[in-house]
Amino acid sequence: MVMKNAKSVYLDKKKIKSFEEIKQKEISFFQRDNQIEKILSNKDILILPSSLAWQKYSWTKKFFEKKPKEGYFIWLKKQINFPLFICLGIYSPQKKQNLNNLLVIEKNVKVKVITNCYSQKSNLKASHQAKGKIILKEKSQLNYHHFHYWHSGDKVSSDYKFILKNNSSLSYSYKNFSSPKELLLKNLVYLEKDASTDLKITTQAEKSEMKIIDSIILAGENSQGILKLRLVGKKDSQIENQSEITAKKQSKGHLDCQGLLVEKRSEISTTPKLVCQSKEAQLTHEASIGKVSEEELNYLRQRGFKESEAINLIVNGFLQNDL
Amino acid sequence: MPNKALLKIEDLKVKANHQEILRGINLKIEKKQIQAILGPNGSGKSVLCQTILGNPKYKIVHGKIIFQEKNINKLPPEKRVKLGLALSWQNPPSLRGIKLVDLLKKISQEKTKIEEGKHLLNRQVNLDFSGGEKKISELLQLLSLKPKLVIFDEIDSGLDLEKIKKIAKIIKKEFVDRGISLLIITHNGEILKFLKPQLTNVMIKGKIVCQQKNFQKVLKTIKKYGYEKCQECLS
Repeated sequence: MVMKNAKSVYLDKKKIKSFEEIKQKEISFFQRDNQIEKILSNKDILILPSSLAWQKYSWTKKFFEKKPKEGYFIWLKKQINFPLFICLGIYSPQKKQNLNNLLVIEKNVKVKVITNCYSQKSNLKASHQAKGKIILKEKSQLNYHHFHYWHSGDKVSSDYKFILKNNSSLSYSYKNFSSPKELLLKNLVYLEKDASTDLKITTQAEKSEMKIIDSIILAGENSQGILKLRLVGKKDSQIENQSEITAKKQSKGHLDCQGLLVEKRSEISTTPKLVCQSKEAQLTHEASIGKVSEEELNYLRQRGFKESEAINLIVNGFLQNDL
Repeated sequence: MPNKALLKIEDLKVKANHQEILRGINLKIEKKQIQAILGPNGSGKSVLCQTILGNPKYKIVHGKIIFQEKNINKLPPEKRVKLGLALSWQNPPSLRGIKLVDLLKKISQEKTKIEEGKHLLNRQVNLDFSGGEKKISELLQLLSLKPKLVIFDEIDSGLDLEKIKKIAKIIKKEFVDRGISLLIITHNGEILKFLKPQLTNVMIKGKIVCQQKNFQKVLKTIKKYGYEKCQECLS
Protein backbone atom coordinates (compact mmCIF):
# COMPACT_ATOMS: atom_id res chain seq x y z
CA MET A 1 0.00 0.00 0.00
CA VAL A 2 1.46 3.33 -1.03
CA MET A 3 0.43 6.25 1.10
CA LYS A 4 -0.35 9.40 -0.84
CA ASN A 5 0.05 11.46 2.30
CA ALA A 6 3.60 10.31 2.67
CA LYS A 7 4.54 11.55 -0.78
CA SER A 8 2.82 14.86 -0.27
CA VAL A 9 5.13 15.55 2.65
CA TYR A 10 8.07 15.30 0.32
CA LEU A 11 6.55 17.21 -2.49
CA ASP A 12 6.06 20.16 -0.16
CA LYS A 13 9.82 20.34 0.25
CA LYS A 14 10.75 20.81 -3.36
CA LYS A 15 13.85 22.74 -2.48
CA ILE A 16 15.50 19.68 -1.05
CA LYS A 17 17.21 17.51 -3.62
CA SER A 18 16.58 14.28 -1.80
CA PHE A 19 12.85 14.89 -1.96
CA GLU A 20 13.07 15.40 -5.67
CA GLU A 21 14.57 11.96 -5.93
CA ILE A 22 11.79 10.48 -3.84
CA LYS A 23 9.26 11.49 -6.45
CA GLN A 24 10.79 8.96 -8.81
CA LYS A 25 11.77 6.27 -6.40
CA GLU A 26 9.78 4.03 -4.16
CA ILE A 27 9.66 4.52 -0.43
CA SER A 28 11.29 1.54 1.22
CA PHE A 29 9.82 1.82 4.71
CA PHE A 30 7.11 4.14 5.88
CA GLN A 31 5.75 4.35 9.40
CA ARG A 32 2.90 6.72 10.15
CA ASP A 33 2.45 7.31 13.89
CA ASN A 34 2.73 3.74 15.24
CA GLN A 35 1.53 2.00 12.13
CA ILE A 36 3.73 0.61 9.37
CA GLU A 37 2.14 1.73 6.11
CA LYS A 38 4.57 0.39 3.57
CA ILE A 39 7.45 -2.05 3.31
CA LEU A 40 9.32 -2.58 0.11
CA SER A 41 9.77 -6.12 -1.05
CA ASN A 42 12.70 -6.98 -3.28
CA LYS A 43 14.73 -10.13 -3.78
CA ASP A 44 18.02 -8.49 -2.86
CA ILE A 45 16.81 -6.76 0.25
CA LEU A 46 14.81 -7.85 3.26
CA ILE A 47 12.80 -5.33 5.21
CA LEU A 48 10.74 -6.36 8.22
CA PRO A 49 9.29 -4.77 11.33
CA SER A 50 11.92 -5.10 14.07
CA SER A 51 9.61 -7.22 16.19
CA LEU A 52 9.25 -9.78 13.42
CA ALA A 53 13.00 -9.84 12.77
CA TRP A 54 13.53 -10.59 16.47
CA GLN A 55 11.27 -13.65 16.13
CA LYS A 56 12.49 -14.87 12.74
CA TYR A 57 16.23 -14.29 12.94
CA SER A 58 17.74 -15.12 16.27
CA TRP A 59 21.08 -13.56 15.29
CA THR A 60 19.43 -10.14 15.32
CA LYS A 61 18.85 -10.46 19.08
CA LYS A 62 22.45 -9.51 19.86
CA PHE A 63 21.88 -6.18 18.12
CA PHE A 64 18.57 -5.31 19.77
CA GLU A 65 19.04 -4.61 23.47
CA LYS A 66 15.56 -5.93 24.20
CA LYS A 67 12.61 -7.22 22.27
CA PRO A 68 11.64 -4.38 19.98
CA LYS A 69 8.09 -3.14 19.65
CA GLU A 70 8.50 -0.72 16.79
CA GLY A 71 11.02 0.03 14.11
CA TYR A 72 12.56 -1.50 11.03
CA PHE A 73 15.00 -4.25 10.23
CA ILE A 74 16.72 -3.86 6.88
CA TRP A 75 19.05 -6.51 5.58
CA LEU A 76 20.87 -5.61 2.42
CA LYS A 77 22.08 -8.91 1.11
CA LYS A 78 23.09 -7.90 -2.39
CA GLN A 79 23.88 -4.79 -4.33
CA ILE A 80 20.81 -2.73 -5.24
CA ASN A 81 20.70 0.02 -7.82
CA PHE A 82 18.39 2.46 -6.06
CA PRO A 83 18.53 4.41 -2.81
CA LEU A 84 16.50 3.40 0.21
CA PHE A 85 14.00 5.91 1.54
CA ILE A 86 12.88 5.54 5.11
CA CYS A 87 10.09 7.73 6.41
CA LEU A 88 9.13 7.99 10.02
CA GLY A 89 6.33 10.48 10.46
CA ILE A 90 4.01 11.60 13.20
CA TYR A 91 0.61 12.79 11.99
CA SER A 92 -1.64 12.64 15.06
CA PRO A 93 -1.51 14.60 18.33
CA GLN A 94 0.59 13.35 21.24
CA LYS A 95 1.80 10.21 19.48
CA LYS A 96 4.92 8.52 20.76
CA GLN A 97 7.22 6.55 18.52
CA ASN A 98 9.68 4.27 20.24
CA LEU A 99 11.73 2.73 17.49
CA ASN A 100 14.42 0.10 17.53
CA ASN A 101 16.05 -0.09 14.13
CA LEU A 102 18.64 -2.36 12.65
CA LEU A 103 20.33 -2.00 9.28
CA VAL A 104 22.76 -4.67 8.14
CA ILE A 105 24.78 -4.20 4.98
CA GLU A 106 26.49 -7.30 3.65
CA LYS A 107 30.03 -7.51 2.28
CA ASN A 108 30.87 -5.39 -0.77
CA VAL A 109 27.41 -3.81 -0.93
CA LYS A 110 27.21 -0.08 -1.58
CA VAL A 111 24.05 1.77 -0.69
CA LYS A 112 22.55 5.20 -0.21
CA VAL A 113 19.97 5.61 2.53
CA ILE A 114 17.79 8.65 3.10
CA THR A 115 15.87 8.81 6.33
CA ASN A 116 13.26 11.45 7.01
CA CYS A 117 11.85 11.90 10.48
CA TYR A 118 9.14 14.50 10.95
CA SER A 119 5.95 15.71 12.51
CA GLN A 120 3.45 16.64 9.84
CA LYS A 121 2.30 19.88 11.47
CA SER A 122 2.72 22.00 14.58
CA ASN A 123 0.88 21.46 17.88
CA LEU A 124 1.10 17.68 17.64
CA LYS A 125 3.46 17.49 20.63
CA ALA A 126 5.08 14.50 19.02
CA SER A 127 7.56 12.25 20.75
CA HIS A 128 10.04 10.41 18.57
CA GLN A 129 12.63 8.12 20.07
CA ALA A 130 14.80 6.17 17.72
CA LYS A 131 17.52 3.78 18.73
CA GLY A 132 19.44 1.84 16.20
CA LYS A 133 22.42 -0.13 15.07
CA ILE A 134 23.89 -0.01 11.64
CA ILE A 135 26.32 -2.74 10.70
CA LEU A 136 28.60 -2.33 7.73
CA LYS A 137 30.31 -5.58 6.83
CA GLU A 138 33.67 -5.86 5.08
CA LYS A 139 34.18 -3.56 2.11
CA SER A 140 30.63 -2.24 2.23
CA GLN A 141 29.81 1.43 1.76
CA LEU A 142 26.98 3.44 3.21
CA ASN A 143 26.03 6.95 2.20
CA TYR A 144 23.49 7.95 4.84
CA HIS A 145 21.41 11.14 4.83
CA HIS A 146 19.41 11.80 7.94
CA PHE A 147 16.88 14.65 7.79
CA HIS A 148 14.73 16.03 10.59
CA TYR A 149 11.65 18.23 10.27
CA TRP A 150 10.08 18.90 13.64
CA HIS A 151 7.93 21.51 15.31
CA SER A 152 8.41 23.53 18.45
CA GLY A 153 6.35 21.26 20.74
CA ASP A 154 8.05 18.01 19.74
CA LYS A 155 10.56 15.96 21.71
CA VAL A 156 13.08 13.95 19.76
CA SER A 157 15.82 11.51 20.62
CA SER A 158 18.01 9.75 18.08
CA ASP A 159 20.67 7.33 19.25
CA TYR A 160 22.61 5.36 16.65
CA LYS A 161 25.62 3.09 16.75
CA PHE A 162 27.48 2.37 13.55
CA ILE A 163 29.79 -0.64 13.44
CA LEU A 164 32.23 -0.49 10.56
CA LYS A 165 33.95 -3.76 9.77
CA ASN A 166 37.27 -3.99 7.92
CA ASN A 167 37.59 -1.78 4.86
CA SER A 168 34.05 -0.47 5.05
CA SER A 169 33.16 3.19 4.79
CA LEU A 170 30.40 5.43 6.08
CA SER A 171 29.49 8.88 4.91
CA TYR A 172 26.84 10.28 7.25
CA SER A 173 25.14 13.65 7.10
CA TYR A 174 22.53 14.92 9.48
CA LYS A 175 20.54 18.05 8.84
CA ASN A 176 17.56 19.54 10.62
CA PHE A 177 15.31 21.88 8.71
CA SER A 178 13.16 22.89 11.66
CA SER A 179 13.86 22.22 15.29
CA PRO A 180 11.88 20.40 17.97
CA LYS A 181 11.49 21.65 21.53
CA GLU A 182 14.06 19.12 22.68
CA LEU A 183 16.56 17.13 20.69
CA LEU A 184 19.05 14.54 21.81
CA LEU A 185 21.23 13.41 18.94
CA LYS A 186 23.75 10.66 19.67
CA ASN A 187 25.99 8.98 17.17
CA LEU A 188 28.75 6.52 17.88
CA VAL A 189 30.92 5.13 15.11
CA TYR A 190 33.18 2.18 15.80
CA LEU A 191 35.78 1.53 13.11
CA GLU A 192 37.77 -1.62 12.53
CA LYS A 193 40.85 -2.03 10.32
CA ASP A 194 41.04 0.21 7.23
CA ALA A 195 37.52 1.49 7.79
CA SER A 196 36.73 5.14 7.30
CA THR A 197 34.00 7.58 8.16
CA ASP A 198 33.02 11.11 7.38
CA LEU A 199 30.32 12.59 9.63
CA LYS A 200 28.67 15.91 8.92
CA ILE A 201 26.17 17.34 11.33
CA THR A 202 24.44 20.61 10.62
CA THR A 203 21.76 21.89 12.89
CA GLN A 204 19.82 25.06 13.50
CA ALA A 205 18.12 25.55 16.84
CA GLU A 206 15.21 27.92 17.35
CA LYS A 207 13.12 27.84 20.54
CA SER A 208 14.90 24.59 21.16
CA GLU A 209 17.25 22.78 23.50
CA MET A 210 19.64 20.45 21.77
CA LYS A 211 22.22 18.04 23.01
CA ILE A 212 24.51 16.56 20.39
CA ILE A 213 26.90 13.81 21.42
CA ASP A 214 29.19 12.21 18.88
CA SER A 215 31.95 9.66 19.26
CA ILE A 216 34.28 8.11 16.79
CA ILE A 217 36.32 5.15 17.99
CA LEU A 218 39.25 4.37 15.74
CA ALA A 219 39.76 0.80 16.90
CA GLY A 220 41.41 -0.68 13.84
CA GLU A 221 44.72 0.01 12.19
CA ASN A 222 44.64 2.59 9.40
CA SER A 223 41.13 3.59 10.27
CA GLN A 224 40.17 7.19 9.59
CA GLY A 225 37.46 9.44 10.92
CA ILE A 226 36.40 13.01 10.23
CA LEU A 227 33.67 14.70 12.22
CA LYS A 228 32.38 18.12 11.18
CA LEU A 229 29.69 20.03 13.01
CA ARG A 230 28.03 23.29 12.06
CA LEU A 231 25.74 24.57 14.79
CA VAL A 232 23.51 27.61 14.48
CA GLY A 233 21.85 29.13 17.53
CA LYS A 234 18.78 31.16 16.65
CA LYS A 235 16.18 32.73 18.93
CA ASP A 236 15.73 31.19 22.42
CA SER A 237 17.95 28.24 21.85
CA GLN A 238 20.58 26.24 23.61
CA ILE A 239 22.94 23.80 21.93
CA GLU A 240 25.27 21.63 23.94
CA ASN A 241 27.75 19.58 21.99
CA GLN A 242 30.22 16.92 23.11
CA SER A 243 32.35 15.36 20.44
CA GLU A 244 35.04 12.82 20.95
CA ILE A 245 37.51 10.89 18.85
CA THR A 246 39.41 8.00 20.40
CA ALA A 247 42.34 6.38 18.62
CA LYS A 248 43.23 2.91 19.81
CA LYS A 249 45.58 1.97 16.96
CA GLN A 250 47.54 3.69 14.23
CA SER A 251 44.85 5.89 12.72
CA LYS A 252 43.87 9.40 11.76
CA GLY A 253 41.06 11.55 13.11
CA HIS A 254 39.94 15.12 12.74
CA LEU A 255 37.22 17.00 14.58
CA ASP A 256 35.94 20.32 13.32
CA CYS A 257 33.21 22.09 15.24
CA GLN A 258 31.97 25.58 14.38
CA GLY A 259 29.11 27.46 15.95
CA LEU A 260 27.30 30.58 14.85
CA LEU A 261 25.14 32.60 17.22
CA VAL A 262 22.49 34.53 15.37
CA GLU A 263 20.35 35.85 18.21
CA LYS A 264 21.21 37.28 21.60
CA ARG A 265 19.08 34.82 23.54
CA SER A 266 20.94 31.76 22.38
CA GLU A 267 23.81 29.70 23.66
CA ILE A 268 26.18 27.20 22.13
CA SER A 269 28.67 25.19 24.09
CA THR A 270 31.03 22.72 22.54
CA THR A 271 33.49 20.31 24.11
CA PRO A 272 35.83 18.63 21.68
CA LYS A 273 37.78 15.74 23.13
CA LEU A 274 40.61 13.71 21.65
CA VAL A 275 41.80 10.52 23.27
CA CYS A 276 44.94 8.98 21.85
CA GLN A 277 45.94 5.49 22.94
CA SER A 278 48.50 4.86 20.23
CA LYS A 279 51.68 6.76 19.54
CA GLU A 280 51.15 6.08 15.84
CA ALA A 281 47.80 7.84 15.75
CA GLN A 282 47.25 11.39 14.62
CA LEU A 283 44.30 13.33 16.01
CA THR A 284 43.52 16.98 15.43
CA HIS A 285 40.67 19.32 16.19
CA GLU A 286 39.47 22.86 15.59
CA ALA A 287 36.57 24.62 17.21
CA SER A 288 35.13 28.10 17.08
CA ILE A 289 31.93 29.93 17.96
CA GLY A 290 31.18 33.36 16.58
CA LYS A 291 28.41 35.76 15.71
CA VAL A 292 27.16 37.09 12.37
CA SER A 293 29.70 39.55 11.00
CA GLU A 294 28.38 43.12 10.79
CA GLU A 295 30.54 43.69 7.74
CA GLU A 296 29.11 40.71 5.84
CA LEU A 297 25.60 41.69 6.87
CA ASN A 298 26.03 45.24 5.63
CA TYR A 299 27.66 44.03 2.43
CA LEU A 300 24.70 41.80 1.63
CA ARG A 301 22.20 44.52 2.52
CA GLN A 302 24.01 46.70 0.01
CA ARG A 303 23.32 43.96 -2.51
CA GLY A 304 19.62 44.50 -1.97
CA PHE A 305 18.81 41.89 0.68
CA LYS A 306 16.70 42.66 3.75
CA GLU A 307 18.46 42.14 7.07
CA SER A 308 16.63 38.83 7.68
CA GLU A 309 17.42 37.62 4.15
CA ALA A 310 21.08 38.55 4.57
CA ILE A 311 21.26 36.64 7.87
CA ASN A 312 19.71 33.59 6.22
CA LEU A 313 22.26 33.73 3.43
CA ILE A 314 25.11 33.97 5.93
CA VAL A 315 23.68 31.10 8.01
CA ASN A 316 23.20 28.88 4.97
CA GLY A 317 26.71 29.66 3.80
CA PHE A 318 28.03 28.81 7.24
CA LEU A 319 26.16 25.50 7.29
CA GLN A 320 27.58 24.52 3.92
CA ASN A 321 31.07 25.80 4.50
CA ASP A 322 33.71 23.10 4.10
CA LEU A 323 31.17 20.32 4.23
CA MET B 1 17.32 74.10 -18.47
CA PRO B 2 19.84 72.49 -16.09
CA ASN B 3 19.65 68.71 -15.54
CA LYS B 4 18.02 67.66 -12.32
CA ALA B 5 20.51 66.10 -9.90
CA LEU B 6 20.33 62.34 -9.53
CA LEU B 7 22.16 62.54 -6.24
CA LYS B 8 22.37 65.65 -4.13
CA ILE B 9 24.24 65.83 -0.86
CA GLU B 10 23.67 68.90 1.28
CA ASP B 11 25.96 69.94 4.12
CA LEU B 12 26.41 66.35 5.24
CA LYS B 13 28.02 65.81 8.65
CA VAL B 14 28.65 62.27 9.79
CA LYS B 15 29.96 60.72 12.99
CA ALA B 16 31.36 57.30 13.76
CA ASN B 17 32.28 56.31 17.31
CA HIS B 18 31.42 59.84 18.48
CA GLN B 19 33.99 61.32 16.14
CA GLU B 20 33.04 63.67 13.32
CA ILE B 21 34.41 62.29 10.05
CA LEU B 22 32.46 64.14 7.38
CA ARG B 23 32.30 67.84 8.13
CA GLY B 24 29.83 69.36 5.71
CA ILE B 25 29.90 67.63 2.32
CA ASN B 26 28.10 69.18 -0.64
CA LEU B 27 27.90 67.22 -3.88
CA LYS B 28 25.60 67.02 -6.86
CA ILE B 29 25.68 64.29 -9.52
CA GLU B 30 23.54 64.45 -12.62
CA LYS B 31 22.17 61.68 -14.78
CA LYS B 32 24.78 60.11 -17.10
CA GLN B 33 27.48 62.17 -15.40
CA ILE B 34 30.88 60.86 -14.31
CA GLN B 35 32.40 62.51 -11.27
CA ALA B 36 35.47 61.69 -9.26
CA ILE B 37 36.59 62.30 -5.71
CA LEU B 38 40.29 62.33 -5.02
CA GLY B 39 41.69 62.47 -1.56
CA PRO B 40 44.46 61.25 0.71
CA ASN B 41 44.05 58.27 3.04
CA GLY B 42 41.81 59.05 5.98
CA SER B 43 40.08 61.98 4.31
CA GLY B 44 36.67 60.28 4.71
CA LYS B 45 36.11 59.06 1.13
CA SER B 46 35.04 55.54 2.10
CA VAL B 47 32.89 56.88 4.94
CA LEU B 48 31.10 59.06 2.41
CA CYS B 49 30.44 56.02 0.17
CA GLN B 50 29.19 53.91 3.04
CA THR B 51 27.00 56.73 4.34
CA ILE B 52 25.40 57.23 0.94
CA LEU B 53 24.57 53.51 0.88
CA GLY B 54 23.22 53.58 4.45
CA ASN B 55 25.79 51.66 6.50
CA PRO B 56 24.30 51.90 10.03
CA LYS B 57 27.79 52.27 11.50
CA TYR B 58 27.84 55.89 10.34
CA LYS B 59 25.41 58.39 11.89
CA ILE B 60 24.22 61.41 9.98
CA VAL B 61 24.19 64.29 12.45
CA HIS B 62 23.39 67.04 9.94
CA GLY B 63 22.47 67.46 6.29
CA LYS B 64 20.62 65.50 3.66
CA ILE B 65 21.24 62.82 1.07
CA ILE B 66 18.73 63.23 -1.73
CA PHE B 67 18.45 60.59 -4.46
CA GLN B 68 16.02 61.16 -7.30
CA GLU B 69 14.49 64.02 -5.33
CA LYS B 70 13.83 61.81 -2.31
CA ASN B 71 15.51 62.27 1.07
CA ILE B 72 17.03 58.87 1.76
CA ASN B 73 18.69 59.70 5.11
CA LYS B 74 16.54 57.19 6.95
CA LEU B 75 16.26 54.46 4.34
CA PRO B 76 17.95 51.11 5.07
CA PRO B 77 20.70 50.03 2.63
CA GLU B 78 18.52 47.54 0.73
CA LYS B 79 15.92 50.20 -0.07
CA ARG B 80 18.59 52.59 -1.33
CA VAL B 81 19.82 49.81 -3.59
CA LYS B 82 16.32 49.21 -4.90
CA LEU B 83 16.13 52.92 -5.79
CA GLY B 84 19.21 52.54 -7.96
CA LEU B 85 22.27 53.23 -5.80
CA ALA B 86 25.15 50.79 -5.83
CA LEU B 87 28.60 50.70 -4.29
CA SER B 88 31.66 48.73 -5.28
CA TRP B 89 33.59 48.02 -2.08
CA GLN B 90 37.27 48.68 -1.75
CA ASN B 91 37.80 45.60 0.45
CA PRO B 92 34.74 43.39 0.14
CA PRO B 93 34.38 40.66 2.78
CA SER B 94 34.59 36.94 1.95
CA LEU B 95 31.29 35.10 2.13
CA ARG B 96 32.07 31.55 3.16
CA GLY B 97 29.82 28.87 1.76
CA ILE B 98 28.17 31.23 -0.75
CA LYS B 99 29.12 30.75 -4.38
CA LEU B 100 29.28 33.84 -6.54
CA VAL B 101 26.92 32.28 -9.08
CA ASP B 102 24.31 31.68 -6.37
CA LEU B 103 24.63 35.20 -5.00
CA LEU B 104 24.18 36.66 -8.48
CA LYS B 105 21.09 34.51 -9.02
CA LYS B 106 19.62 35.73 -5.76
CA ILE B 107 20.33 39.36 -6.65
CA SER B 108 18.72 39.05 -10.05
CA GLN B 109 17.09 36.35 -12.17
CA GLU B 110 18.71 37.80 -15.26
CA LYS B 111 22.15 36.47 -16.10
CA THR B 112 24.99 38.94 -16.10
CA LYS B 113 28.02 38.29 -18.19
CA ILE B 114 31.55 39.51 -17.96
CA GLU B 115 33.92 37.19 -19.77
CA GLU B 116 36.66 37.82 -17.22
CA GLY B 117 34.44 36.64 -14.35
CA LYS B 118 33.49 33.20 -15.69
CA HIS B 119 36.06 31.31 -13.66
CA LEU B 120 34.93 32.98 -10.43
CA LEU B 121 31.30 31.90 -10.59
CA ASN B 122 31.67 28.57 -8.82
CA ARG B 123 33.96 29.90 -6.13
CA GLN B 124 32.89 31.24 -2.75
CA VAL B 125 32.42 35.00 -2.92
CA ASN B 126 35.74 36.80 -2.48
CA LEU B 127 37.34 33.85 -0.71
CA ASP B 128 40.99 33.69 -1.76
CA PHE B 129 40.25 36.05 -4.66
CA SER B 130 43.14 38.14 -5.92
CA GLY B 131 42.77 41.93 -5.88
CA GLY B 132 41.75 41.95 -9.54
CA GLU B 133 39.29 39.07 -9.08
CA LYS B 134 37.57 40.94 -6.24
CA LYS B 135 37.04 43.92 -8.51
CA ILE B 136 35.53 41.70 -11.23
CA SER B 137 33.27 40.05 -8.66
CA GLU B 138 32.13 43.50 -7.52
CA LEU B 139 31.39 44.54 -11.11
CA LEU B 140 29.33 41.39 -11.71
CA GLN B 141 27.27 42.04 -8.60
CA LEU B 142 26.74 45.69 -9.46
CA LEU B 143 25.57 44.79 -12.95
CA SER B 144 22.98 42.43 -11.47
CA LEU B 145 21.63 45.29 -9.36
CA LYS B 146 20.77 47.38 -12.42
CA PRO B 147 21.84 50.64 -10.82
CA LYS B 148 21.31 54.24 -11.84
CA LEU B 149 24.34 55.53 -10.00
CA VAL B 150 27.40 53.46 -9.17
CA ILE B 151 30.00 54.52 -6.65
CA PHE B 152 33.39 52.89 -7.10
CA ASP B 153 35.39 52.99 -3.90
CA GLU B 154 39.06 52.70 -4.87
CA ILE B 155 38.38 50.25 -7.69
CA ASP B 156 41.91 50.95 -8.94
CA SER B 157 43.71 50.29 -5.65
CA GLY B 158 46.27 47.52 -5.67
CA LEU B 159 46.06 46.99 -9.42
CA ASP B 160 48.78 47.48 -11.99
CA LEU B 161 48.20 49.79 -14.94
CA GLU B 162 47.19 46.97 -17.30
CA LYS B 163 44.54 45.73 -14.90
CA ILE B 164 43.26 49.26 -14.26
CA LYS B 165 42.92 49.68 -18.02
CA LYS B 166 40.99 46.40 -18.24
CA ILE B 167 38.64 47.33 -15.38
CA ALA B 168 38.08 50.79 -16.86
CA LYS B 169 37.19 49.20 -20.20
CA ILE B 170 34.55 47.01 -18.55
CA ILE B 171 33.15 49.99 -16.60
CA LYS B 172 32.91 52.00 -19.78
CA LYS B 173 31.17 49.25 -21.73
CA GLU B 174 28.81 48.03 -19.01
CA PHE B 175 27.99 51.27 -17.19
CA VAL B 176 29.02 54.46 -19.00
CA ASP B 177 27.72 53.36 -22.40
CA ARG B 178 24.41 52.45 -20.79
CA GLY B 179 24.00 55.93 -19.34
CA ILE B 180 24.66 54.99 -15.73
CA SER B 181 26.11 57.80 -13.60
CA LEU B 182 29.41 57.16 -11.86
CA LEU B 183 31.15 58.50 -8.79
CA ILE B 184 34.73 57.31 -8.81
CA ILE B 185 36.56 57.50 -5.51
CA THR B 186 40.28 57.19 -5.94
CA HIS B 187 43.48 57.84 -4.11
CA ASN B 188 45.99 57.85 -6.93
CA GLY B 189 43.65 58.80 -9.79
CA GLU B 190 45.12 56.42 -12.39
CA ILE B 191 41.71 55.16 -13.50
CA LEU B 192 40.53 58.70 -14.31
CA LYS B 193 42.77 58.75 -17.35
CA PHE B 194 40.58 56.03 -18.86
CA LEU B 195 37.16 57.14 -17.63
CA LYS B 196 37.60 60.90 -17.99
CA PRO B 197 35.24 62.39 -15.39
CA GLN B 198 33.38 65.57 -16.19
CA LEU B 199 33.93 66.90 -12.68
CA THR B 200 36.66 66.09 -10.18
CA ASN B 201 36.42 66.83 -6.47
CA VAL B 202 39.21 66.85 -3.93
CA MET B 203 38.35 65.78 -0.40
CA ILE B 204 40.50 66.63 2.59
CA LYS B 205 39.65 66.01 6.24
CA GLY B 206 35.98 65.33 5.61
CA LYS B 207 35.36 68.27 3.31
CA ILE B 208 35.33 68.80 -0.44
CA VAL B 209 37.84 71.57 -0.91
CA CYS B 210 38.08 71.77 -4.66
CA GLN B 211 35.99 71.07 -7.78
CA GLN B 212 37.54 71.10 -11.22
CA LYS B 213 36.25 70.24 -14.68
CA ASN B 214 39.72 69.39 -15.86
CA PHE B 215 40.72 66.20 -14.07
CA GLN B 216 44.16 66.26 -15.64
CA LYS B 217 44.88 69.58 -13.98
CA VAL B 218 43.93 68.13 -10.58
CA LEU B 219 46.02 65.02 -11.13
CA LYS B 220 48.97 67.09 -12.28
CA THR B 221 48.81 69.34 -9.23
CA ILE B 222 48.53 66.42 -6.82
CA LYS B 223 51.36 64.60 -8.58
CA LYS B 224 53.56 67.65 -8.40
CA TYR B 225 52.75 69.01 -4.95
CA GLY B 226 50.89 66.15 -3.23
CA TYR B 227 47.72 66.63 -1.25
CA GLU B 228 49.58 69.15 0.94
CA LYS B 229 48.89 71.76 -1.70
CA CYS B 230 45.16 71.07 -1.35
CA GLN B 231 45.49 71.63 2.39
CA GLU B 232 46.22 75.26 1.57
CA CYS B 233 42.81 75.60 -0.06
CA LEU B 234 41.28 74.19 3.10
CA SER B 235 43.03 76.74 5.28
